[in-house]
Amino acid sequence: MNSNSGKNETCPSCEFQDNLDILRQINFFSHLPLEALKVIAYLCTRETFKKGEYLFHQNEDDGLAFYIISGKAGLLHKDKDGEHLIRNYPEGEFVGGLTLLGPLHRLFSLQSTTDLTCLILTREKFAKALEQFPDLMPKILKVVVDIVRAWEERFLGDYSASCDACKHNIGVSLV
Amino acid sequence: MKEQFVMEKNKIPVVKRSLFSWIFSGNIKLQVLLVFIILIMIVARVLPLEMQKRIVNEAINLRKMDLLFLYCGIYLASVIVASVLKFLVNIIQTLISQRVLAQIRKELYHHILTLPLNFFRKTQAGMVVSSLITELPSSGNFAGMAFAVPLSNILTLLAFAGYLIWLNPLLALVSLSIYPIVMLFIPFLQKRANTANKKRVDTTRKLSSRIGETISGIHEVHVNGAYHIENSKYDKLVNQLLKTRIVWTLYSQGIKVTNNFFNNLSPFLIFILGGYLAMKGQLELGALVAFLSAQEKLYNPWKEMIEFYQIYQDASIRYNKTMEAFDLMPEHEIEPKDRDPYELEGSLEIKDLMFETDSGIRLLDKINFSMKPGEHMALVGFSGSGKSTLAQCIGQLYKYTDGHVLMGSKEVSDLTKKDIIHNIGFVSQAPFIFTGTIEENLLYSCLAKTDENGVMPNLDDIIGVLQQTGVFVDVLGFGLNAILVYDQDTNLVSDIIRVRKNFQNDFGEALSDYVEFFDENKYLYRSSIAENIIFGSPNHTSFAENNLSQNEYFRKFLNTAELFRPLLSLGMDLSKQTVDILGNMPAEAVFFDQSPIAPDELEEHKDLVNRLKTKKLHQLSTKDQDRLLNLALRFNPGKHKMIALPQILETLILEGRALFIEKISTDDPNAITFYQMAHYIYSQSILNNIFFGKITTTHPKAQEKINQSIVHLLIEEDLLETIIEIGLKFHVGSQGDRLSGGQRQKLAIARVFLKKPKILIMDEATSALDNKSQTRIQNLIETRWKGKNTLISVVHRLDIIKKFDKIAVMKAGKIGEIGTYQELISKKGMLYELEFGKK
Repeated sequence: MNSNSGKNETCPSCEFQDNLDILRQINFFSHLPLEALKVIAYLCTRETFKKGEYLFHQNEDDGLAFYIISGKAGLLHKDKDGEHLIRNYPEGEFVGGLTLLGPLHRLFSLQSTTDLTCLILTREKFAKALEQFPDLMPKILKVVVDIVRAWEERFLGDYSASCDACKHNIGVSLV
Repeated sequence: MKEQFVMEKNKIPVVKRSLFSWIFSGNIKLQVLLVFIILIMIVARVLPLEMQKRIVNEAINLRKMDLLFLYCGIYLASVIVASVLKFLVNIIQTLISQRVLAQIRKELYHHILTLPLNFFRKTQAGMVVSSLITELPSSGNFAGMAFAVPLSNILTLLAFAGYLIWLNPLLALVSLSIYPIVMLFIPFLQKRANTANKKRVDTTRKLSSRIGETISGIHEVHVNGAYHIENSKYDKLVNQLLKTRIVWTLYSQGIKVTNNFFNNLSPFLIFILGGYLAMKGQLELGALVAFLSAQEKLYNPWKEMIEFYQIYQDASIRYNKTMEAFDLMPEHEIEPKDRDPYELEGSLEIKDLMFETDSGIRLLDKINFSMKPGEHMALVGFSGSGKSTLAQCIGQLYKYTDGHVLMGSKEVSDLTKKDIIHNIGFVSQAPFIFTGTIEENLLYSCLAKTDENGVMPNLDDIIGVLQQTGVFVDVLGFGLNAILVYDQDTNLVSDIIRVRKNFQNDFGEALSDYVEFFDENKYLYRSSIAENIIFGSPNHTSFAENNLSQNEYFRKFLNTAELFRPLLSLGMDLSKQTVDILGNMPAEAVFFDQSPIAPDELEEHKDLVNRLKTKKLHQLSTKDQDRLLNLALRFNPGKHKMIALPQILETLILEGRALFIEKISTDDPNAITFYQMAHYIYSQSILNNIFFGKITTTHPKAQEKINQSIVHLLIEEDLLETIIEIGLKFHVGSQGDRLSGGQRQKLAIARVFLKKPKILIMDEATSALDNKSQTRIQNLIETRWKGKNTLISVVHRLDIIKKFDKIAVMKAGKIGEIGTYQELISKKGMLYELEFGKK
């Protein structure tokens, strides 16, 4: 879990510029104006995790959002029978955007399955940046609403009418 | 704090006091002295008039040189005395107004802090600030003037008028007759001016909200090309304002002109009537001269009176508006009047408890339960069910509207705040940490509770609580990150050098991923360019990082090493990029922690970046070049990510380092202590000294891991307590912004634990903690507190409630069920639903 050195041999430009490019590709941020994105890109930090280290733990409220720059991570859920792998996230995934919006306890854990480098934004920094750009909130809310709707749509797509147990799980967003 | 309590006990509340009540409050002696001085001053003002008359009539007419000298001497003396006294009057007036202002400010602030929490929900902090800072000075001014100005001016007016009447009653009456006329005109004009002024304020407000709207909708304006629509809306208001302002200015000027006109009319009356009388031989020429100058001197006191009238109007409006805004009483007495605070038993009895908001919404509805001393209860429920409100009513933060909360058989709403803080500890959902050190924040609750003679916790108590709450490792981290002062703590320094060697043996390899060791042949990405070049810590201030850009020797060296220009250019990029990103950000740590430009330098760099738009580097002034060089020397690629360090510059700097070490070792061998295993590096933190390198991670968990491995070492060397003491002195930043959410919460829990309250209320107090810290605190509460201290804990996470004596499940302001975890789960009621969802 150490952050990479200040120099970046593979990239002629600087870390800030790379961060900015990444943020512009993430749905959650892409609608924000450049002025705000610059500040957010500046506030992001990079960390590397060794294989097997946890990025976050179930039940904790660490307030971090991650973008996986390189490497893979597995999403785990623990119940009374033990910890199960839900799915794997490859590089290029943005995980935990909702934690930026307010206190939330994690429902899952995220564990690196290879050595992994990621971009991290903390809720506190994000909130401070938002304070400076008050008109961003409606845009962010819109993104969140879209995300929730897309989930439900996906549920509906997967849902088969013959499955009674599935019926229980749809109708979360009620839109 | 003392003053506040005195106020609570004896005086009328500050918000009920009239503006006039401040005039003599605490200033009687000064005001009396003022009257005395004013009386002498008035004599000294009238005397020159009489001398004037005598100089003309007696000395000049009779050609008596000795009388001329005598009268002129008296004249001069009176003028000097009058001026000195006027200055004294001003001093005393200033003293009074500043003292009154300070007093109103203090008392109002003390009052505001005790107002119910509800009040602050509806009140903007900005309103409180502007009330205390900008609205009150006029009241102070008024209080300073209120006695002296009318008194001295009325007396002066009377004295001059009396003198005039004594000289010639007829002439005096005629020339004084203008004042009643002026007094007829001025209120009339003032009224018109006030109306116009109010209209001006309204129009200005409308105008600013129009500007605000257009600017925030600028996107729409551009899309539609609707410039002329917006312009015409705006222009209409500007024209309105134009008219109102003209009217207002004309009336205000009108007052001055009227006043001037009548005052200038007076000499005309004197000339025509006085000249006639003088020709008739009924008035001496000297008397006429005295008359004219006395009349002229009436103008000043008259003008001052009118100004005073306007200040009074303004001050009374502002004062009354301000006091009106805070005209509320605290819901509970602050401290008991004639007894010590109660030491209550830790039992609780809640009977038919109700809480309704002002608008009649019932947040708590007939709550009933009781707790024995030492019992622990968890409050759970859906959000909005009233958990926090219940906790806050028990903790006297809100006044319940009906029913009873009996704490050790005393009704909570009848207790004073002091009784409460003596028996209850409250950890809020979002605890506030104040500017200051960790230690000050830790002792906050104890200090508030303790009287002057009370015993404060000692270092052992503090360390105990730090360990219990898990904030110990954080404080240790702050201690390890401290920078020691040169030549102080010499024992500690030699200990650390010893630890450094043991560290390298024990942990060097294990932690090498997290540390960039100081290596003479490698570029240090976690250090500034200055550190990379001098590769050591400076022993002269002229080699300190911030002074290097102006150090002649160093500049020459940079030129020799061919580093000067490249660094200047790097400084330029750094300045441009940082200003581009942070140009409009406020001076908060979160924005400037990763910036090479400090918040107070930002403005200068903004200007500099502007100049760089038209100028080339070599055209810049020496001062600007210094600034850029200084910035470049601070550049730390591991921290400042807005630009990258060019490879070529890195190579140049490494070569420069070798050259610098070689040169300075012959030129000034004592200037720098190079990074060597045997030397303490005073420019670096204790941790970096132990590592002989710098940490490469900012991730809190990694830092915790590092700190934990160092704890061993520090215990072995018996240094732990020393480092903790240093850590306790860590400044948490404005509102604790240098702490993480978890650290803030742990600190808040620690400060309440340190108070050892009989009843502890925790309102989602562990929500920001990681699982380990959460478990640690949970264990602590179960082992140390159960059976001794009563606990009510509002809980969001259901995984921690199993071991509580009781669980109360709330829904819509009522307690739905109450019992042990097992009872409630087997009942398959609300708790079951909360935990396993609706089936």
